[in-house]
Amino acid sequence: MLRIRRFEEQCIQLAESKQFSGHYHVYIGQEATAVSVCNALGPEDFVFSTWRNHGHLLARGAAPDRMMAEIFGKATGYAGGKSGTLHMAVGELGVPATSALVGGNLPLATGAALACKRRGSGVSVCFHGDAALEEGAFYEAMILAAVWKVPALFVCENNSIPPAQRKRGQFTSSTLPAAQLADVPQSLQIRTEIVDGADADQLAESFERLVGEVRRGGGPRFVEVRCTRWPGSFPLWPELPDGPWQIAWAFDGKPDRADLALWLEQSDPLTLYVRKLIAAGAVTRSQLEAMDARAKEEMAGAARYAIDSPFPAPDQAYRHVWA
Amino acid sequence: MKISFAEGVAKAIQESLAANPRVLLIGGGIMGLNTAARALLDPVLRDFASRIMVTPISELGLAGAGVGAALAGDRPLVDLSTGSFIFQAFAQVANEAANIHYMTGGQTSVPVTFYSLAGRRGGGAAQHSHATQALLGQVPGLQVLTPGGAEDAYGLLKWALLESRNPSVYLSHPLLFDETAEWIPHDPFLPVGKARIRREGRDVSLIASSIMVPRALAAAETLQRQHGISAEVVDLRTIIPLDRDTVLQSAAKTGRAVIADECHHSYGVAAEIAATLAEKGLASLKAVRRVTMPDVPIPFSAPLEAEITVTAEKIVAGALDAVRAA
Amino acid sequence: MTLQGMSVKELNKDMLLAFYEQLWRIRLFEGQVQRLAARGEVPGFPHLSTGQEAVAVGVCAHLREDDYLFSGHRAHGHVLAKGSDPYAVFAEIIGRQDGVCRGRGGSMHLVDVAHGVLGATGVVAGNVSLAAGAAWAAQVRGESRLAVVFFGDGATGAGVFHETLNLASLWQLPLLLVCENNGMAEFTSREEHSNVAKVSAFAVPYDIPAQTIDGNDVLAVYEAAREAIEAIRASGAPRLLECMTYRMAGHYVGDAQHYRSKEELAAMKQKDPIDRLRRHLVKQGVSDNELEAVAARVKTELDAVVDRARRAPRPDPATVLEDVYSTAFAMAQRA
Repeated sequence: MLRIRRFEEQCIQLAESKQFSGHYHVYIGQEATAVSVCNALGPEDFVFSTWRNHGHLLARGAAPDRMMAEIFGKATGYAGGKSGTLHMAVGELGVPATSALVGGNLPLATGAALACKRRGSGVSVCFHGDAALEEGAFYEAMILAAVWKVPALFVCENNSIPPAQRKRGQFTSSTLPAAQLADVPQSLQIRTEIVDGADADQLAESFERLVGEVRRGGGPRFVEVRCTRWPGSFPLWPELPDGPWQIAWAFDGKPDRADLALWLEQSDPLTLYVRKLIAAGAVTRSQLEAMDARAKEEMAGAARYAIDSPFPAPDQAYRHVWA
Repeated sequence: MKISFAEGVAKAIQESLAANPRVLLIGGGIMGLNTAARALLDPVLRDFASRIMVTPISELGLAGAGVGAALAGDRPLVDLSTGSFIFQAFAQVANEAANIHYMTGGQTSVPVTFYSLAGRRGGGAAQHSHATQALLGQVPGLQVLTPGGAEDAYGLLKWALLESRNPSVYLSHPLLFDETAEWIPHDPFLPVGKARIRREGRDVSLIASSIMVPRALAAAETLQRQHGISAEVVDLRTIIPLDRDTVLQSAAKTGRAVIADECHHSYGVAAEIAATLAEKGLASLKAVRRVTMPDVPIPFSAPLEAEITVTAEKIVAGALDAVRAA
Repeated sequence: MTLQGMSVKELNKDMLLAFYEQLWRIRLFEGQVQRLAARGEVPGFPHLSTGQEAVAVGVCAHLREDDYLFSGHRAHGHVLAKGSDPYAVFAEIIGRQDGVCRGRGGSMHLVDVAHGVLGATGVVAGNVSLAAGAAWAAQVRGESRLAVVFFGDGATGAGVFHETLNLASLWQLPLLLVCENNGMAEFTSREEHSNVAKVSAFAVPYDIPAQTIDGNDVLAVYEAAREAIEAIRASGAPRLLECMTYRMAGHYVGDAQHYRSKEELAAMKQKDPIDRLRRHLVKQGVSDNELEAVAARVKTELDAVVDRARRAPRPDPATVLEDVYSTAFAMAQRA
């Protein structure tokens, strides 16, 4: 989780200092989901992500330096600069394609799940957001997954939830009248669960179990992971109010901004998990600081790699149209 | 032995399913086949039932599922049925399948084949009659296969299912199903990307694809018998990849090109060929004509539809016009 | 004929006989289409609503002329029940100039604006979002009319159907969604392609009240539609009515239906909606003579319609470029 946090903070800082162009999306505040899901997966499994893919890719084992290079559009990026952040994929890690269209990856995931079922191994995980349920593709992909009974796990990261509703209660969306998002796939006869995106332990336990169920041929599952947006989250250009996350904030320190302080208290999976570990005596502050130093160093290295890497030669624009 | 276009389609599916366990059918309706072809295909659909997915009417979902299965190593044929319905699936065909190899920088590929029964069928009216090859030709990363004869109906589909590494839209045609051709087993397959000279000639080149091929051949016969004009017929076979070289060579030889195309006049396949000839073949070119559908939605009533259909007669008229022009 | 607001118990014998006549009109109309198609006189592939007449008649009994109706490829019954002139509809199906669309649309694209038939489209589920749009327009303008859309159970596999449920609920549209669940999507039975048996289930997450009824009982359809339409007019909120029925003919004319068993086809005949109403009328004391007279009258009427339509002129090919755009200047280019 920490590595994802530091990577995303690097992105924001590099974007603010205009080291790369184009808009991008960060996964701050949702780290626990990617980690929990990907920890339950193996090399034969597939992961489909969206434009908000950095956390999923890192959790799946992608190298931060090659990711950052791709975000910069450099030749050393995973796609040689062809995808940028929006479509970043790593074929060799089972992330074969990333759609930047809302609902674009859902049918892909159903199809990959079909292939897994046919070969007798692997599951297909589809990360998407709450808006995907507004797209017809959601229904088509879910109905097919259910009728074909394929090993597909649809992880809906609903990042619009007020803290009070995360653990229970209805979620009122302005764009979907369902009382719960999960009501929608339920009407398609798909089993659903709702999980608190700020509770790393619950996430880990739930996904360990759910991935197992899907793997054993139980048919598709839909999980709504409820997350609360952090104060720096803006549609086009995220910010770091009060700078990068500090370990001190997990102890007795507090950021200056009240809204950030509140978010850390109530909704940040990272802060809450660190506090839990500390309280349980599972980790000391100096261990944390050492971990953090490594993470920061790694991501700073990724930034340097990206900055120092060359752009692709112009004639590379013509390559890779055809396999 | 002679096979029909429909039998070619059925045979290709049958042999592909048998040859490679990764081939699967998403939807196996394959509408419009004649009795002989169904007699070939139906037992296959039973024998390989576990690899044939029964489908609801969900073109978008099915197209995407085909892409996803291809990403995960399968080689699906997605039956999108009537050509006009590809619009329901367009996000996945044009914006996912075609883009993936490129935007992943070559990491993954999508060997999916979309089967589409496109073109004017007679009485299909505006929503069932689209000839989509020009629209699809504008999608880099997509192969657009337009067999104009039974041997290519078989060969191109089998190639797409077993060998192609890239996504294809295979444009079948309801009025081609009964066309027959000589099929010689083990005959070397004309490589994809090479046009087929169906008839040699000296005075005018008739460039055609799909349903225009038999009509161009009929036109060539009429031109010879009634007008003493020797017409060469070039069957493009595929829109992407487009064999511009063969087209240019033929036009250089005859000096006149008449392009017959079921797409609408503006921005169509014929427009692309004409532009190619203008850019690269001007030196030896005396005339270029396009014989196409006008820019109207396809009307239902028979005389209206007949008015706009590209017939052999219209191709003859186009050729005569080209010959008289220069 | 609209019987707005009358409950089924209030319907008198003449009104019931009028239903009977309407059912027969559709049945015989479709029979004529089938007959002419077998002789090669109908271009394309018409899709017949034989067996599904009660849904059209029961629902349309409550519609005003200015209510919007949308249908799909199997629209003949709906359009007739809405009040379109059988001659103009038949002429359209056989591609004549006097057709509702001047021969341009054909069987699957029947539009008759004068009677509120805004669209029948040939792409499955294509019409559902259109109907929502029309309902929205009426709402925005503060009108009291509603939009009705007929679609089959096969359409519920399409994403746009679900998108429309969402919109109809979010925007609280005066929309009546009528699903003719005949268990077939083209040539595939519902069990094969869906794990949700009843379409009503899809409406639940959107809080759209939905009802599943026997679509072959015209009086049951009438009563359920009355309640739904009254509610829509009063509250402006959408409703879904799922009518279980049977497609007695094939998917289109010429479809030999090899994918259905003889037993299945025989069982369907038992549930014929016309027979059901006839039995009810007989119990109400209507004589066989009266019933036969109705059928005979409709047959005579339609024979004349078909005869006249067959003699009607075909469109002039020179007009083929008209109506591409709705402005006066010609943009279509001749090849």
